Amino acid sequence: MKVTYNWLKEMVDINVSPEELAKKLTSAGFEVEEIIYQNEHLHHVVVGKILKIERHPQADRLVVCQVDIGSEITQIITAATNVFEGAHVPVSLEGADLCNGIKISKTKMRGVESNGMFCSGEELGIDENYFEGAGVNGILILPQDMKPGTPIDKALMLDDVIFDVGITPNRADCMSVIGIAREVCALLGRDLKKLNLNYDIDIYAKDTVRDYVDVEVKTPNCFRYIAAAITDVKIEKSPLWMRARLNAVGIKPINTMVDITNYVLIEFGQPLHAFDQKNIGGSKIIVRQAQQGEEIAVLNHNTYSLDENIMVIADQEKPMVIAGVIGGMDSCITDDTKTCVLESAVFDLKSIRITSRKIGVRTDSSARYEKGVNVANAEQGVARALHLVSKLKCGKIARGVIDIASKKNEARNITGSVSTINSILGVEIPASEMVRILNALGIVTKCTGDRLDCIVPPYREDVENDYDLAEEVIRLYGYDVYDKIDYSLFENASVTEGHHHPRLALERKMRSSLAEHGFFENVSYTFGAPDLNKKLLLSDEENLLVRVENPLGEEVSCMRTCMAYSLLNNIAYNLSVGNKDIKLFECGKTFRAKSLPVTELPIERNMLGIAVCDAKYNFFNLKAEVEDALNMTSCEWKIERSAMPFLHPGISADIICGDEVIGSFGKVHPTVCKNFDLPENVFYAELDTGYLAALPEKKYNVKAISKFPIVDRDLAVVVDEATTCEELIQSIKSSCGKLYYDVSLFDVYRSEALGENKKSMAFNIKLSDLEKTLTEEEVSAVMKKVLKALTYKFGASLR
Amino acid sequence: MLLDELKDTQVQVLSEIAAAATNKDINDIRVKVFGKSGVLTTLSRGMRDVAPEERPKVGAIINEVKVAIEEALSAKQAEVENAELLSKLESEKVDITEPAQGVEKGALHPIPRVIDKLCDICVGLGFSVVEGPEVESDYYNFEAMNTPKNHPSRDMQDSFFVNEEIVLRTQTSAVQGREMEVRKPPFKIVCPGKTYRNDSDATHSPVFHQLEGLVIEEGDKVSLADLKSMLTILMKRLYGEDTEIRFRPSFFPFTEPSIEVDVSCPTCHGKGCSLCKGTGMLELLGAGIVNPKVLELSGIDSKKYRGFAFGFGLDRTAMILNSIGNIKYFYKNDKRFLEQMK
Repeated sequence: MKVTYNWLKEMVDINVSPEELAKKLTSAGFEVEEIIYQNEHLHHVVVGKILKIERHPQADRLVVCQVDIGSEITQIITAATNVFEGAHVPVSLEGADLCNGIKISKTKMRGVESNGMFCSGEELGIDENYFEGAGVNGILILPQDMKPGTPIDKALMLDDVIFDVGITPNRADCMSVIGIAREVCALLGRDLKKLNLNYDIDIYAKDTVRDYVDVEVKTPNCFRYIAAAITDVKIEKSPLWMRARLNAVGIKPINTMVDITNYVLIEFGQPLHAFDQKNIGGSKIIVRQAQQGEEIAVLNHNTYSLDENIMVIADQEKPMVIAGVIGGMDSCITDDTKTCVLESAVFDLKSIRITSRKIGVRTDSSARYEKGVNVANAEQGVARALHLVSKLKCGKIARGVIDIASKKNEARNITGSVSTINSILGVEIPASEMVRILNALGIVTKCTGDRLDCIVPPYREDVENDYDLAEEVIRLYGYDVYDKIDYSLFENASVTEGHHHPRLALERKMRSSLAEHGFFENVSYTFGAPDLNKKLLLSDEENLLVRVENPLGEEVSCMRTCMAYSLLNNIAYNLSVGNKDIKLFECGKTFRAKSLPVTELPIERNMLGIAVCDAKYNFFNLKAEVEDALNMTSCEWKIERSAMPFLHPGISADIICGDEVIGSFGKVHPTVCKNFDLPENVFYAELDTGYLAALPEKKYNVKAISKFPIVDRDLAVVVDEATTCEELIQSIKSSCGKLYYDVSLFDVYRSEALGENKKSMAFNIKLSDLEKTLTEEEVSAVMKKVLKALTYKFGASLR
Repeated sequence: MLLDELKDTQVQVLSEIAAAATNKDINDIRVKVFGKSGVLTTLSRGMRDVAPEERPKVGAIINEVKVAIEEALSAKQAEVENAELLSKLESEKVDITEPAQGVEKGALHPIPRVIDKLCDICVGLGFSVVEGPEVESDYYNFEAMNTPKNHPSRDMQDSFFVNEEIVLRTQTSAVQGREMEVRKPPFKIVCPGKTYRNDSDATHSPVFHQLEGLVIEEGDKVSLADLKSMLTILMKRLYGEDTEIRFRPSFFPFTEPSIEVDVSCPTCHGKGCSLCKGTGMLELLGAGIVNPKVLELSGIDSKKYRGFAFGFGLDRTAMILNSIGNIKYFYKNDKRFLEQMK
């Protein structure tokens, strides 16, 4: 919201500088985001009167002018052709720094001295709407009554200071100059000056507003509708002071009637609309919900098809205005408008918000209505507008107004407690100070003991209870009171036991271990393209996609169903920028809808995903990482061949716990690699960390160790390819019986000599006895038994 | 005669030993002296020709010579071995400036790292770490946070919608309602996690991270002053013990009074630098006293209990703590970025 220093000064006696005022507003919760000095680029520019024009002796296109700039007559050379002797023009002198970047200094042009430059409207930052002549291609010719030497910012009323103020949604009342002026009053301890709401009525005229228009409100979404009529309207340029105000806050001046509605919009926060009376069919305004399929062409040159959620201001035939948002082409003010009907209305903020969203149009009006315009405001708004009509002498005001109100908004009585307010704030503010602050804010307050009796003005709908009063008090008392507070005060708090989140704690262990082992942690966007399942060869039926209705783009419109989507993309990105040997992991959520269309919250699974693209990496390296992670939990798992579509069917495994698949790992399927633009040596693993974190804590059960030495023997056997390591180990284990200590595979060997489909597997077997040192005979007996069992069960032969 | 030969031999052999340079030289001398046809062995056989009464004396001399030679040999051997060891060590010298070998380490991402750090700090302060869904109901994300449908304060955040009732949570505050419904005061919780807003430019990422904190206590134990104390401790632990914070008025639908918290710039310690744009302070947190309407919406008696809440962006925190200049780095996962976090 933009307001100006001069505009505020019209309502409050301000005795502080603009900078100081900005600081105070910010400290009270109205953050001044920017201070704009209108004359920033107008210093050293003055009104000049051209006294004499002579040809430049050396250049055909230049003329030499003698110019009266008040303090002296100075010489200026120009190439402009629209200047003439006697013309008043803006003259930029040495030191001027114009808005288009031109810096002025004394120079010689073709040997003749020039002490400055004449300016066009554009060089002063103004256009034809703002000042007549500012739009011409040439020098701005000023009115003759401007005195030479007058600084141009004064002459053109461009000397204001503009504050761009951030208004929080709870303070809709401050979407206006008067609203901010009320805050300034409270901050400076001043009274608000009464604004002139009076207007003249021709006491001899017999006509009343009802001779021009009738109003009917047919929708509960219109809380108040006031109509006034103005006859003998003069549509012309409004006076410079009004244009200056509008221009300063970024509104284009148009003509008297339109400017008046905009002026009141900014000043009072009350949107107004002016109709050309002759275009109101049946001279009747009907406020109603639109009918399905009705159409309206509006001022932004678009035509919208309406429905019953949209409120319109209609005549007896057709909608004229999309209520609170934008006016129609057919009923707007034009240069030949003779009689004008002025609307000052209040609508339900929700209705306007829905409409504005639906048609995608946001205007200064809708912005205010959406935040909530006070019902009492409409009355003052229309009075102020009529006052301005009267002041500008741009029409005759018909007697009376039509005022239809379905909602009242009056001052409310609330009570507060001094001690409660202080206990909320945690500081001791005297009751008298609270009373002073609240009264300054227009909340009429009396204090009896601990009790505060407050009358809250209608425009402060946000103030309801002690918490609201506490905020009002502290923001004016000053938050700097907390700068002095010692931080040990938190001692007041109850003792509570803090717990880490079990899953985050488990993930932290896994993440640290992976980082130790050379992996880099990733954090990815959780969304992807609609083909994300397809790229992973996953079925859309088993992995129902959660779609975002309003995504930033199609490629980020669906929530990921699998960590692989993010991690494989991350590998592809890293390869594309020349990174090599990529080992990544990420802890994050995957999302699957329970049904489509989505009616309830989707299933969110917390997963650890690991992905590797490294020529030296293999399945068993990955298996080690997976086992490491699983060993941090009490999970009792087994592995089975995986049917995960995005993994290589022969080089992948599922991790099974109970009946559940809690993870998978393996080489990524070559088709998937192709889909993600990856080479084929990519490995991927995932674990359900949510499942794992829910398991009981890992317990250790330490067995006795023997004081006698371990005996170890190596055994290499040749078996069929189909025989698994696990089967052989189980057999060895059971053959060793109670002497078993450990067995591990240390070599796998294949060769032509061994034969097709044969492999040699070498095991290291460790035996131990709690009671004694094992003898050679005992050891050989066990080894014989081991071999015999392997031969019997698997056709193994000693290598 | 024999005695002279013994003396000569001793002198001769000792000088040979002195000249020996390698283990082989020493062994050769040993064989030459003590071998089957060694000098000393041969001379010892000469005892047969010595008169019996002379034998003890000659025997003693032979022994003396033998001992002298053996001592000289072992001394020389130790000397040679020592020299050989030194030369071996010398020859094994490596270039200690070559790079370290072993498993190349990876690194944790700066954002989860900040989450780890904050969880540790907050658990230490008696907070429990909780989580909530990222795809959240409109109710918990907005309505329970005193932000009804079509309320102007919805404009403060551009949401991603799944449908009218389901959004990608715009704030970790969405856990407040969920936790208040199931917990009995007093309690303290923090919730770190991903949040989403329909906003993407140089300084905004549509996916980002927040940490929400909520304390609910019996009425008089909670005030803005307590909030200030708590946040001061939290910010000191996070940014360093000389950190200070300052309150400014603000607005959030779920807190009343609402404040913005400025933190003294950790880079320049309040002196003013490019990070804080010369102000010495960074606007880092939103906080306030829990709006009693929020308590009531979640079934907590606002007459009896009061709370405070705070929240802040973790991407920003991670950027400040690690001097990261571009928020987009976080989500690209470029190895060249992550390697710097080792």
